[in-house]
Amino acid sequence: MTEPGTVTSQRPRSQFAAILAYTLQSCVPPRRWAAVLMPCAGALLFGLLARAVDNFPTPDRAFANVAAEGIFALVMPIAALVIGDAVLGAEVRSGTFHFTWLTPVPIWRIVLGRWLGGSFVALVTIAPAAALAAVIAGASGTAGAAYVAAAVGSVSYVALFIAIGCITRRTAVWSLAVVFLIERLLGAALTGIAQLSPTWESRAIFVGYLDDPPDRLIRDGIPEGGGAVVRLIIVTVVALAIANWRMGHMRLSGAAD
Amino acid sequence: MSPVESESEFAAPAHDPAFAADATVEIVDVSVWFGPKVALSELSCSFGPGVTGLLGPNGAGKTTLMRAMTGLVGVNQGTVRVEGRDPRRDRGVHGRMALVPEDEAVPAGLTARQLVRYVADLYRIRDRDAPDAALQSVAMLDVADRHVDGFSKGMRQRTKIAAALVTDPQVLVLDEPLNGADPVQRLHLIALFKQLGADGRTVIVSSHVLNEVERMAERVIVLMHGRLAAAGGRHAIRDAMDDRPRHVLVRSDDGRRLAASLIGLDSVAGVTIDTTRGGLVIQTVHARDLAIALPRLARESSVRLLEVRALDDSLESLFRELVR
Repeated sequence: MTEPGTVTSQRPRSQFAAILAYTLQSCVPPRRWAAVLMPCAGALLFGLLARAVDNFPTPDRAFANVAAEGIFALVMPIAALVIGDAVLGAEVRSGTFHFTWLTPVPIWRIVLGRWLGGSFVALVTIAPAAALAAVIAGASGTAGAAYVAAAVGSVSYVALFIAIGCITRRTAVWSLAVVFLIERLLGAALTGIAQLSPTWESRAIFVGYLDDPPDRLIRDGIPEGGGAVVRLIIVTVVALAIANWRMGHMRLSGAAD
Repeated sequence: MSPVESESEFAAPAHDPAFAADATVEIVDVSVWFGPKVALSELSCSFGPGVTGLLGPNGAGKTTLMRAMTGLVGVNQGTVRVEGRDPRRDRGVHGRMALVPEDEAVPAGLTARQLVRYVADLYRIRDRDAPDAALQSVAMLDVADRHVDGFSKGMRQRTKIAAALVTDPQVLVLDEPLNGADPVQRLHLIALFKQLGADGRTVIVSSHVLNEVERMAERVIVLMHGRLAAAGGRHAIRDAMDDRPRHVLVRSDDGRRLAASLIGLDSVAGVTIDTTRGGLVIQTVHARDLAIALPRLARESSVRLLEVRALDDSLESLFRELVR
């Protein structure tokens, strides 16, 4: 306990820095890092696969086709799901979130701290893996586009999965349902849904920054390049706003319930 | 600590033992349910400075009440106020209170010192020595650099208590804090809680063990099936429990002779021969007196006792009797 008047000259960490450090240290322990790195290794395998495909005129086109289906539609959402669940959903389920929630820290600071922590993990794993896959595929010229697309897409996903974690305790199940049922199935048919989808928008970012994008990957009604980046930034902000609203109304009934 | 102002909308009944005179935590007509399960039902009580014990069998609603009063769980009906503020809406009140939950769960990958320091940072505790002081107060300083997820249940509980104490709370809510603690630690923690109560803090301690609660709390609130079963001073609660009739099964080599000699005892309210259990079932309102008298009577009557067993000595039956 603190005694009044025992203030020392050292300053404590800010609330924000404490939440960020906690997120990286406790929410993403080594096992979680391994779970994130596994799909990232999958991205590298997709790079090798693109190198092996020989029915495209250039390595760039081969990688673009493989990346669109393998990296942006599969690896990125799965790896981001592991991260998004780790920074909130898993903690709520385990019953330790009260150490953060039951404090005078404003909710928005908790949400932002968790999202930034998760985004940092995504930026040092998923995005470099996408860029490295381009290099492995012999399409070094597309590595920058792959990095930007994977970076923006994955941080947007992390925000989305945090919002889902604030709404339901079954974060992983609902997140998978959103990715594969709503985004993949409905998004493939309905442009309106694809416009709000990190999968489709990150693919549009990637395609938009390519010098010679395959026609197959250009989808009408979805902005490309910078326009898609803006769209995902809006999706991210909305997801964080929902998370901020829902986190204040969470029922933290403990791990046993 | 500021007691609830006199203009509070919750005017407690003047002499109702469920209500503290200078309440800091007020529970008014609170109901909480999880789907079809009702955890708390129209519960009204209050807590003030000092140690208050929250007693009840498993499933009585103690944990839900504690989570509701800290804001972790919203109430479906009724009102919770801590120092006049709603803990669900006013996050500022969390700076004045702390919860030590019963869950064994602790954050992964952190040492005890890191966990306590994390909580201190969130509360903007400026004293850099405060985490160590809190750990010292629960005798955890020497293992402060070990990871909490490798701790035993008792050590985890004490680390969580340290994490609560580092915030210097005016309202401290402890859910089964002695779980997993060895006898020495129990004594230490009980003394600590009593000291915190004596300092004028509102300390609310739940337990399903009456003896534990008795040793640290002057006032006791008993819950049963999510409702208020009893409230009052610890002595009143103890007397109420001691005075209830109990049933004791006694198996001997001559039940009839023993029954005849038992009839005259003041502590015996009735004796029946239970053929299915193969012994006597003695109904008593003074179990302690009976326990002293029974061996003497058996010896005087030359009856050999084979088994003496309380039939309804579970806490569940104690509480059920109290509610009746």
